[in-house]
Amino acid sequence: MTAAPQAPPAGNWTTALRTRIVHVVPPGQALPDRQPAYVASWIYVFGVLTLASFVVVLVSGGVLAVGGVAWWHTSALGHFVNSVHLWSVEIFMAVMVIHLWGKFWMAAWRGRRALTWITGVIAFVASIGTAFTGYLTQSNFDSQWISGEAKDGINSIGVGGFFNVLNPGQMLLWHVVLLPVAVGLITVLHIVLVRRHGVVPPIDSEEGGS
Amino acid sequence: MTTTSGVTTARVPHQRRGKTPDSHTFPTRPYDLVKEFVIALGVVSLLSLALAAIFSSPDDQAITMTDWATNAPNDFVATATGELAGTTTSATYGAPYNHNSDGQSVLGMHLQKWGGVGVPVNSADLVLGPLSASTSPIARAALATWNAASPSQQKAWATSYADALAKAPDGNPAQVAPGSYGPVPVLAAGLLQLARTGGLEGALTSSGNFYGGDQTRSMLLLSDGTYLEDRAVAQNLGGDQWGMMNEIGNYPGQPWMWLYTFWYQVKPFSTSDNADAQVWLLMMVLTVGLALLPFIPGLRSIPRWIPVHRAIWRDWYRTHPAPRK
Amino acid sequence: MPVLESAGNYVDWGVFHISVTNLVIIGVMIVVFVLAILLPFPKPHEVRESEERRP
Repeated sequence: MTAAPQAPPAGNWTTALRTRIVHVVPPGQALPDRQPAYVASWIYVFGVLTLASFVVVLVSGGVLAVGGVAWWHTSALGHFVNSVHLWSVEIFMAVMVIHLWGKFWMAAWRGRRALTWITGVIAFVASIGTAFTGYLTQSNFDSQWISGEAKDGINSIGVGGFFNVLNPGQMLLWHVVLLPVAVGLITVLHIVLVRRHGVVPPIDSEEGGS
Repeated sequence: MTTTSGVTTARVPHQRRGKTPDSHTFPTRPYDLVKEFVIALGVVSLLSLALAAIFSSPDDQAITMTDWATNAPNDFVATATGELAGTTTSATYGAPYNHNSDGQSVLGMHLQKWGGVGVPVNSADLVLGPLSASTSPIARAALATWNAASPSQQKAWATSYADALAKAPDGNPAQVAPGSYGPVPVLAAGLLQLARTGGLEGALTSSGNFYGGDQTRSMLLLSDGTYLEDRAVAQNLGGDQWGMMNEIGNYPGQPWMWLYTFWYQVKPFSTSDNADAQVWLLMMVLTVGLALLPFIPGLRSIPRWIPVHRAIWRDWYRTHPAPRK
Repeated sequence: MPVLESAGNYVDWGVFHISVTNLVIIGVMIVVFVLAILLPFPKPHEVRESEERRP
């Protein structure tokens, strides 16, 4: 004989958190195997292409980290991995911008999806910042010139004493730890919001179905 | 629906009355999101590997102090002299390096100054610091003469020598007219010699710390000269060449920076002393505007006025014509 | 003396000064965007009406 399940005591933080997590997306919508019928255009693949590119950027960056900061200057394999990292970043930025174009023309912020749009813009800007610290981490002529120029912009707004682009040690850690984590978290939030609200219906659509 | 414990389990996103319908009320069709992601991952991986194999990536070696001293010794000597005269960019920069200028401001806000001197650097020390470890009797004597002189005497010597260098053919120290320069020529030549031997970066970067790792002082000295900028301008990386978007050679640059660098190419920014702060503020406003686009009347209606969406959802509109208003 | 990159190819139009590479990248992005909208997407073979109650 099994005992009847007992109600958790009121004010249980675990129950509250579990309830909150479970209700973030509608039931079955975390990884649904069906999509609304209007999701039928190649423009819709650019979100997942952005996510996939992000993964390739992280993996190639991870391999560079295994070798260390100067590895790619002295190893042909290291240089190739650096090239993969560069081109995956170019692809990442390109597909992300195409994704932004598509979402703009779909006015995808409709139906209480403003936060999805906002997190997308933040992810875009954070990605640019991450790429910027990457350029500073190359330990070559580019790093010298870019840091020399960028310091003027950052100093002009009073932030240079704290965020010193001439300090490669600091820039490296921002590039491989702080900013990827930030971009990752924003991305997760962005995708959860898409699953929560569903893909935005067409402009001028009335009640769903017939 | 509520359970016996009183907790609501099903919560469908709230539908705004008369506005965008709930996407979950529409007809659906099967779709494999995970397969789509795996295919996307495969495509991007292959494309990245192929582009990397075909086009590689740029890696021009960093300029060393030896490079600078060997390829542009006159510029090096002029820069070292400028540090002693207090006339270089870093010497007159202001925050975060020193208090010798108020720096940039925008809309009356002196943001640069408000940031404070968080990375203090004495530009004259960029020359005197590395030389102070020298064991050469000539260098030590020159340093002693310099340190014993008053600040105004030091400035007079350095300024005279800087002027003389500017007048000499090609800025060549060997062809400078005789004058009262004190120990400055010896100090500048001593630093040039240290640079040639490859010991200058270490003297500037470590500053007593075994691990070093902070290139601020080396970079400030290098940036005070023209050699670095000349190399950059030759590669279209200069500020008035849309440089922020570019990369050396024919490598892909940063196309997404087009709007940030655009402002530097046009007035009033192209001739403004406060261009950096002004462009930053402008881009900050535009970025916030982009983020808050859903709330901006007019801008948020552009997708309705220019109906690109009719092409995107053409299949849906064919089978579900939009109702007449 | 290390081998350095030679300067790249650039296009000028008024105030605009852009590398050929960047121009190609932007051009390809626009073409891809237009194609993504115009190219037909595989037609769904099974469309199921929504099983949820209408609100």
